[in-house]
Amino acid sequence: MFTIWNRKVHYYLGLYFLFFLWLFAFTGLLLNHSWQFAEFWPNRNVSTFERAISAPRGGSDVERAEDVMRQLSIRGEIEWTATRPSSTLFEFRVNRPGHSLNISVDDAGRSKIEETQFNTWGIMKALHSFTGVRANNTRNQRDWALTTLWVLAMDAVSLGMVVMVLGGVYMWFVLPTKRKGGFAALILGTAICGFFVFALRWM
Amino acid sequence: MWKRFYVVTRDLHLYVGLFLAPLVLVFAVSVFCIVHAPSGQVWEAPSNRVVTELDVSPDLERLSGREQLVALRPVLTGLGVTGEVNFIRKIAKEHRLVVPVVIPGRETTVDLNLENRTAAISVRNTGLSDALVHLHKMPGPHNVNLRGNSGYIRAWRWIADVSSYGLLFLTVSGLYLWIALRAERQIGLVLLFLGALSFLGIVYAITF
Repeated sequence: MFTIWNRKVHYYLGLYFLFFLWLFAFTGLLLNHSWQFAEFWPNRNVSTFERAISAPRGGSDVERAEDVMRQLSIRGEIEWTATRPSSTLFEFRVNRPGHSLNISVDDAGRSKIEETQFNTWGIMKALHSFTGVRANNTRNQRDWALTTLWVLAMDAVSLGMVVMVLGGVYMWFVLPTKRKGGFAALILGTAICGFFVFALRWM
Repeated sequence: MWKRFYVVTRDLHLYVGLFLAPLVLVFAVSVFCIVHAPSGQVWEAPSNRVVTELDVSPDLERLSGREQLVALRPVLTGLGVTGEVNFIRKIAKEHRLVVPVVIPGRETTVDLNLENRTAAISVRNTGLSDALVHLHKMPGPHNVNLRGNSGYIRAWRWIADVSSYGLLFLTVSGLYLWIALRAERQIGLVLLFLGALSFLGIVYAITF
C-alpha cells in the first residue's frame, strides 16, 4: 500500500508543481549566466511623474508608506533604501516583479515617483528571488500579503521536492535489479555535494 | 521501439534523479534558510590575527576589477586565505582594501592597510545554513566581473548548471512516464491544470 501511494505522491507532486519547477530551474540558469537574449536592465523603461497627495498618516514608517501607496494606487513590497538625505523627505521603494518605484514625499504632500518597468526576462528573474527579506537586514521585513503568498509557494515547492526526492529514493531501493547502478549514481551525487557543503572548509 | 524508448527514459529518470537527489536537497533546504532568514543573526565570535611587514605594493589600490583581484590573489595566498573573493571595498582616504573571502561555512575578512603594509584577518564560521545559502546563490548575477575567481566556484558553476538542466530533464521525462500510465491520466490532468492555475494566478496577482 505504501509503495503504491508513495509512487502516486511522487508523480502527483511533480505534475502539480511542474510550472513552478520549470520557472525556478530555468531562471536559475538565467541568473547564473549573462545571456544576451535574456537581458533586462538595458531594456528597462524609466518614467517619472509627480502627484499631490495628503501628508502620509500613520504611527510607523510602514503605515505611512502604506498610506502613500493607497493614495497613489501602488501595490508591492516596501523596501527601505539607504539613509534619507533630508529629514523633510519621506522616501522608500516599492518592488514587485517587473516594477520598481522610488517614491519620495515632502511635508507639503508633493510626491515624486520614479517608475522602472522591466521586460519578461526581468519579471522571470525577479520571481526567482522575490522574498521581501534579506539576510541580516533587520529594517526590511515582508509586508505585502502577495509576497507572503509567493513565499508560501516557494516553501511548498521546496517541501514537495524533498518529499519527491525521498519518495524517489525509496522507489529505487525496492528494485533489486537497479541497486548497483543506483548506488553508484547516489554516491557520486552525495560525494560531490558533501565536498562542497562540508569538506571545503576543512581543507 | 516505443517500449525500448520508455525503458531507457525510465532508467535515465531513475539514475539522473538519484545523482541529483543530494543536490536537489541542497537547493530545496536552502530555500527555507533564504526565505525565513532570521534578521539580526548572531554569529560566533570571529578569530582575529594581524600580519605586519606585508609584501604588498601600494599600487594595488590604483588597480580595479579583475586586474586588482589578480594582483591581490598572491597576497591572500601568502596570508593563508583561500576561497572566493566576494568583492573588494576600497577605503581610499585610509589606503585600505577590505576583502571578504568566502568558503561555504566560513567567511574570512582581510583588511589590508597598504600604507602600513599590515593585514587584519578575521575568520568567522557561519554554519551549515549559511553554507547552503551561499551555494544556492553562487555564482549569481552580481559582481560578474569578479565571480568565479576561485576554483571551487568555477567547479560549482558547472554543478549548478547540471542541476538545473538535470531538473528540466527530470520534469520532461517524468511527464512522458506519467503519460504512459493510462490509469493516472485523468487525475494527472486535473493536477496539472490545478498547478498551472495556481502558478499563473499567483504570478498574475504579483506582477500585474
